[in-house]
Amino acid sequence: MAASAVRGAMALRTSASRPVAFVRKIPWTAASSELREHFAQFGHIRKCIIPFDKETGFHRGMGWIQFSSEEELQNALQQENHIIDGVKSEGTQCEHVLWWSQPVWIHILFL
Amino acid sequence: MAALLRSARWLLRAGAAPRLPLSLRLLAGGASRLHAAPFLPAARAGPVAGGLLSQARLYAIAVEKKNYLQEEPSSHRKNASQFDWALMRLDNSVRRTGRIPKTLLQKVFDNTCHSGSPGGNQALLLLRSCGSLLPELQLSERTEFAHRIWDKLQKLGTVYDVSHYNALLKVYLQNEYKFSPTDFLAKMEEANIQPNRVTYQRLIAAYCNVGDIEGASKILGFMKTKDLPITEAVFSALVTGHARAGDIENAENILTVMREAGIEPGPDTYLALLNAYAEKGDIDHVKQTLEKVKKSDLYLMDRDLLQIIFSFSKAGYSQYVPEILEKITYERRYIPDAMNLILLLVTEKLEDTAFQILLACPVSREDNLNDFGSFFLRHCVTMNTPAEKLQDYCKQLKESQMHTSPLQFTLHCALQANKTDLAKALMKALKEEGFPVRTHYFWPLLAGHQKEKNVQGIIEVLKAMNEVGVNPDQETYINYVFPSFDSVRSVRGVLQENGCLPENNVFSQAEFRSEAVTGNLSYVLSFLESNTLPFSFASLRGSLILGFRRSMDINLWSKITELLYKDGRYCQEPPGPTEAVGYFLYNLIDSMSDSEVQAKEERLRQYFHQLKEMNVKIPENIYRGIRNLLDSYHVPELIKDVNMLVDREKIDSRKTTQLTSSVLESTLEKLKAENQPIGDVLKQLILVLCSEENMQKALELKAKYESDMVVGGYAALINLCCRHDNAEDALNLKQEFDRLDPSAVLDTSKYVGLVKVLGKHGKLQDAINILKEMKEKDVLIKDATVLSFFHILNGAALRGETETVKQLHKAIMTLGLAKPSTALSSPLVTLYLEKDDLSAALEVTIDCYEKYKVLPRIHDVLCKLIEKGETDLIQKAMNFVSQEQGEMTMLYDLFFAFLQTGNYKEAKKIIETPGIRARSSRLQWFCDRCISSNQVETLEKLVELTQKLFECDRDQLYYSLLKLYNAYSIFLKAHKQNIVLNNETYGSLIKLLLEKDSFLQAMQVKDVAETHIKGFTLNDAANSLLIITQVRRDYLKEALKTLKTALDLEQTPSRIAVTRLIQACALKGDVESIQEIQKMVNGLEDSIGLSNMVFINNIALAQIKNNNIDVAIENIENMLTSGNETVKPQYFGLTYLFRKVIEEQLEPAVEKISIMAERLANQFAVYKPVTDLFLQLLDSGKVDDARALLQASTLKSLLELIPELIEKEEAYTSIMKSYVLDKDAASAKALYENLTARNIKLNDLFLKRYAVLLKNAGEPVPFTEPPESFEFYAKQLKESRGNPL
Repeated sequence: MAASAVRGAMALRTSASRPVAFVRKIPWTAASSELREHFAQFGHIRKCIIPFDKETGFHRGMGWIQFSSEEELQNALQQENHIIDGVKSEGTQCEHVLWWSQPVWIHILFL
Repeated sequence: MAALLRSARWLLRAGAAPRLPLSLRLLAGGASRLHAAPFLPAARAGPVAGGLLSQARLYAIAVEKKNYLQEEPSSHRKNASQFDWALMRLDNSVRRTGRIPKTLLQKVFDNTCHSGSPGGNQALLLLRSCGSLLPELQLSERTEFAHRIWDKLQKLGTVYDVSHYNALLKVYLQNEYKFSPTDFLAKMEEANIQPNRVTYQRLIAAYCNVGDIEGASKILGFMKTKDLPITEAVFSALVTGHARAGDIENAENILTVMREAGIEPGPDTYLALLNAYAEKGDIDHVKQTLEKVKKSDLYLMDRDLLQIIFSFSKAGYSQYVPEILEKITYERRYIPDAMNLILLLVTEKLEDTAFQILLACPVSREDNLNDFGSFFLRHCVTMNTPAEKLQDYCKQLKESQMHTSPLQFTLHCALQANKTDLAKALMKALKEEGFPVRTHYFWPLLAGHQKEKNVQGIIEVLKAMNEVGVNPDQETYINYVFPSFDSVRSVRGVLQENGCLPENNVFSQAEFRSEAVTGNLSYVLSFLESNTLPFSFASLRGSLILGFRRSMDINLWSKITELLYKDGRYCQEPPGPTEAVGYFLYNLIDSMSDSEVQAKEERLRQYFHQLKEMNVKIPENIYRGIRNLLDSYHVPELIKDVNMLVDREKIDSRKTTQLTSSVLESTLEKLKAENQPIGDVLKQLILVLCSEENMQKALELKAKYESDMVVGGYAALINLCCRHDNAEDALNLKQEFDRLDPSAVLDTSKYVGLVKVLGKHGKLQDAINILKEMKEKDVLIKDATVLSFFHILNGAALRGETETVKQLHKAIMTLGLAKPSTALSSPLVTLYLEKDDLSAALEVTIDCYEKYKVLPRIHDVLCKLIEKGETDLIQKAMNFVSQEQGEMTMLYDLFFAFLQTGNYKEAKKIIETPGIRARSSRLQWFCDRCISSNQVETLEKLVELTQKLFECDRDQLYYSLLKLYNAYSIFLKAHKQNIVLNNETYGSLIKLLLEKDSFLQAMQVKDVAETHIKGFTLNDAANSLLIITQVRRDYLKEALKTLKTALDLEQTPSRIAVTRLIQACALKGDVESIQEIQKMVNGLEDSIGLSNMVFINNIALAQIKNNNIDVAIENIENMLTSGNETVKPQYFGLTYLFRKVIEEQLEPAVEKISIMAERLANQFAVYKPVTDLFLQLLDSGKVDDARALLQASTLKSLLELIPELIEKEEAYTSIMKSYVLDKDAASAKALYENLTARNIKLNDLFLKRYAVLLKNAGEPVPFTEPPESFEFYAKQLKESRGNPL
């Protein structure tokens, strides 16, 4: 009770926005290492997550990539379509996640 | 019979035919009425025997034709809308793909059943879907489906009429279902349903399909007795009938008979004949007949030809398929038919023929945008087509550039269908083709077995991985293999037995990880001790951190850390154990939240001390990172404990620039010996010692050289003592510091540190003195300071130090260091809540209200009161709140408390109190609270219970809710669990995402919302936002669609959204769209706030963009000179157009517009355009052009031309600017005098410019020069004008 009161009162740890891209339409053949490999051309990748659905064994076509800097993220965002794993039919798309925060990583990790 | 037929003509003419075959006799009888029979040759909807392909087009029409509203009572509106929905889903599917997937039909069926009592039309719709529209199903399966529907709906009370029986018959025909027509008729009779013409027609077809002419004739007899007309459909059926009876000659003769009966054989009849030949493999006759049809004025469509192909193939004559394929024209609209046939052929195990047709499909191969053939591959997988064939198809598809990745796609299908053997074969093929085969390809297979805990299955997949040469990784084991076993420990043995335990250490790592994440640290330790495999520390780090956080056994923490640090197996490689363990500690603390670290402070301290004992060291740079973390978590007390671990030796060797304490110390002694001043060095040494957290040494040094101490040294020392919880020395140092310089001020954080440590050690008076000094010396109080005050008070409250909390709080309040707030007062209440003294807690809360007008922790107090059932105290609290803050507040307090404690029933009663209204700030507060403590259930209850709350801004509620929570992940979660959110939630989410410019995510949510919610709509604000975003992303078509949707919903889009869209269209030169928008918003201009000029400007701009400059100019001139203006000339603002034309550098347009403006001014006395253009030219720095526009090029003629211009503030300001640019003091002077003579009040910017111009020209300024800068006045002027469009 005490701890939650403290947090509720005022001390929510502010989570700075991080240079994270949200990627969707990832082909099923690609997993996080392929995603990492592709996005490495834009900068240093600190984290790369594609959550898999453990029920089906497939991922849901989306993932998150955290770059080291905003600039690198912007590099990646400049490109309209990303061809990952040679799949051209639907280019993988990525965009900035402004409201990214630490708890979200954790949430995604245990999804 | 053939002989008889030959003479049929004669017999017919003769009128009597005792020996005529039955069917023909009956025909003859009916023929006299055939001319009158109202049948339409164009209506080729009738069921041809085996008519499998031509349903799609007619499907929707057929349903519409049946006027369902008639039979539905009007009160069944729900049913009607349910029907609409079902129809829409099925119809959409048929239109798009020419078929209905089984799952869709099943879904619609289930839905229909759930809706209660399905109406007759729904039944009809469902039944009709069970025929050729299900090419992916075996014929028998389709009929089974139809029967299932028939029985189920009948049970649910659906009343069948003749149309249902007819529909069922048609399904039988399409599915070639063998049944007894007489039984069928008997069944109808039993149900008291009269067969009609269509029934008989179809029964005839049923007989004919099996070649039973006798049977068909019987039915014809019935028809005759009932005077029913005989249509082409019947003749076509007879063609099929005779042919299937092996009598092709008679089949051919039917055509003659038809003609004689006055019916010209139509395409359906020919098709029946063609199919008959095809079934016999008679290619010659097929070709001849086709020629014949071609020469006649009849026309066979692609779908007819496709049907002939089917007949050939099914009868085993697929060698003739290519010849027919050649004749197909492949109009695009027949592609759904072709796809349909392809699927059907696959279902019939004729996949090779199917593939031939697929390859012949005219799809564009150059753009490579769309893969074609996926539907075929998927269906082949479903139908268990052999892997070798599939591989071959894939190869050809790829070679013909129809599909970019057919093998991968097929593999995907195989995995989805859990077909291990096929998947294995395909992966081998992929590998042979040089494509990578990745570990996660096997996960779907494993996931399938895992659900059933099928260990044998798992083993087989692992073996398959081995065969293909893919090594399972940690995730494979942890997520898919281990959960299939009862315990992780048993896995190793089983894998070993089966020979699929890998030689590398991945398996051990996975074991390790899965134990670690459960917090089983003793396993972790023994594993690390006994392990013989090479492990990198980095690979263990994540698991260890999770394990540490889930176990509170500090001894194990330390032992494990020590082992890793010292044992040669783990982190001896560069950069070495110091770095590795340091980084590990950093990550450990980083992974914890502030409250977690606060709660575990003591344990962490023990841990660090044990590490120190074990001689574990960490690098200084990592220490600094940890220090910053601890600082941000508000536990700086732990810093010194971590500091003990810093590796001093490393600092020496690496940081040569920074003098070490030992060097400084000897320098100090040397200086002292030489009797030189030591102040600086001493301070430096103290600072170094402080950063090394070496309090003892620093204090000794201070004692030794006390007379040489300076203020900075003291400040650092005081802070050091505070960190080390050393109140005694801190206080002494503070006193010495004051003696040294009574006016010296410490920085805020050091004061706060002192207050904290003094308070903690019961030196209350001293702590209060520090607070007083802060006030006296006017120390800067920041938000962070107030937060620190809170932490000091709260810490004391949690330790139960009543006096400390009370006195410090009182001092802070009386001194006015911080304003009274709920947060700052809450520790006063916390004191008693922690002791469970609820009565006192309530007392204090009330007391706080009386003193400071705040009610700290009233919510928590109420919650506890409710939990303990203290009704009297609750009553007391409620009386107080209600008296002081009103009944409404009281109700809300109670509502939230009930919600929080899970008493939802009571909460519901409260919120349904008559007269209660929504209080958004309170609701918001509670949302925030739930979110910060992750109480999803409470939050959902809140949303649920406030559904009917009067004036409750639901949108806002959802919105704030989503905003605070991670909206998108909620959505994903909900989506994954197939939870359908409601319209407003989706709406809020979309709006939220749009505001954050997460357009793609917003669209994804919208897609989902649209599939789940029939008629999903966004509200005004969200639609406007969507339009703006779409415009920004250049999706103008979509934006236009959104606008239309919004207007259709009678929403009022925002002015800015509509304007942006119009402007964007204009810049694209899209006149049509602008005019369309104008039509759409017609009559709404006022409520949107849209001026007609927006259209005029932008249409003109669009025309100019299209190089129709003259048209644009002509239109404008007409509007201004025709005499029946819609907009008065003085409001005819073309500023936007002018600005854009200038900005876009449309030079010819600028020129022509200039001429127009002049002409309008000179000839029609319309001055607004010339003024606007002039000003725009000036604004864009085209002073010369502006001049040229006003040919006379002098102020005088300008004023003559536009007398009212000079009085406009914008005008004279701009003109003055141009004079300043030209350094034309004389003209400026003339302007100034002119204006002052007219008594016009001049703005400061004007005066400033004029003054500077005069000064630069060395002339006196006849007024006081405005003192501020140009920018200042320019900004002022802009603000005073507001923000014109």
